[in-house]
Amino acid sequence: MQKPKSNQASVGSVQCENTTLNLLKVNDFVAKAIRERLPNILVINVCSSPGSGKTTLMQETGRRLRDKLNMAVLVGDPETERDAIRMRDVGINALQIVTGGMCHIEAQMIYQALDHIDLTGTDVLFIENVGNLVCPAAFDLGEDYRVTVLACTEGDDKPKKYPRMFLTSELLIVSKSDLLPYVPFSVEAVTKDARDVNPDIEVLSISSLKGDGMEEWCDWLTERVHAKKEKNTEKVA
Amino acid sequence: MHEISLVRNIFRTLEEEFPNDMQRIRGIYLKAGLLSNVQPILMQNAFEAVLEDQPKYNQTSLHVEVLPILIQCDLCGQTSKVEQYRFVCKHCGKPSRNVIQGEELLISKVEFD
Repeated sequence: MQKPKSNQASVGSVQCENTTLNLLKVNDFVAKAIRERLPNILVINVCSSPGSGKTTLMQETGRRLRDKLNMAVLVGDPETERDAIRMRDVGINALQIVTGGMCHIEAQMIYQALDHIDLTGTDVLFIENVGNLVCPAAFDLGEDYRVTVLACTEGDDKPKKYPRMFLTSELLIVSKSDLLPYVPFSVEAVTKDARDVNPDIEVLSISSLKGDGMEEWCDWLTERVHAKKEKNTEKVA
Repeated sequence: MHEISLVRNIFRTLEEEFPNDMQRIRGIYLKAGLLSNVQPILMQNAFEAVLEDQPKYNQTSLHVEVLPILIQCDLCGQTSKVEQYRFVCKHCGKPSRNVIQGEELLISKVEFD
């Protein structure tokens, strides 16, 4: 970015055209620093509405992969430490980020949190974002992948209502899939709408409680953990 | 959205760029892509609220221009406007997420006295 000289503005009446000061630049700058700080750990930003089953999905993922992968979670919530406690219950290293009523997490909050969590030996770091499909979409947290969780009880019209979230996600997880027979939700329709917005998005149906789709999800994750490590080894070598 | 924090960001960004000229800023022009989820009317309200808090800036006005989403096709290279959030090239029909306009949130122009 070309920096306009402020002394130019101090003579008479001046219009500073094309200053193009990016209001999100601070966030993007910090997000880049996070990527540089975690070259060997897969970072997944998990976004969704409140109550879509993010924490339950994380818990079940922890149970299934605890012998294969070391997992850590940064949990963002407006208040309370509850979700972090649920993670620690299943042996996942967890740190709560209490956003103090804020509707999203910003990169700076993640960067600071990294000083308070021991990630030695960690393979994958989840960022459980604040339950909200609007604001978190605008903030890069230095993640490798963004995963959006959408419960089938929420309705299949969300991709068109919250396009930016789906545009910026690599994977859409339709959660609570054991309830699909009881609700008017079409995985086909949601896939079509999500791909209208983002033709590259992958879609997985998962029931954390019954286990359907969990294996595919765990494979998806494990594959990417290894891919990132390999890429980093190549770079070092 | 979080308009109040965005407005505070506007002033923080400008204070960084024009540390000696803040008092003379009269007009701030924003370009907000449709995907930035910024609502002009809510930005104006938030702007008024922040001015109440920081009366030193109350000679300043805010102008928000919302920009449509544009994609550039990877196949035919043509640019199309995205309507109804269908990210499809209007010329050849290929889906595309190559967004060249619509995600930005920029201060495009600053007017000084």
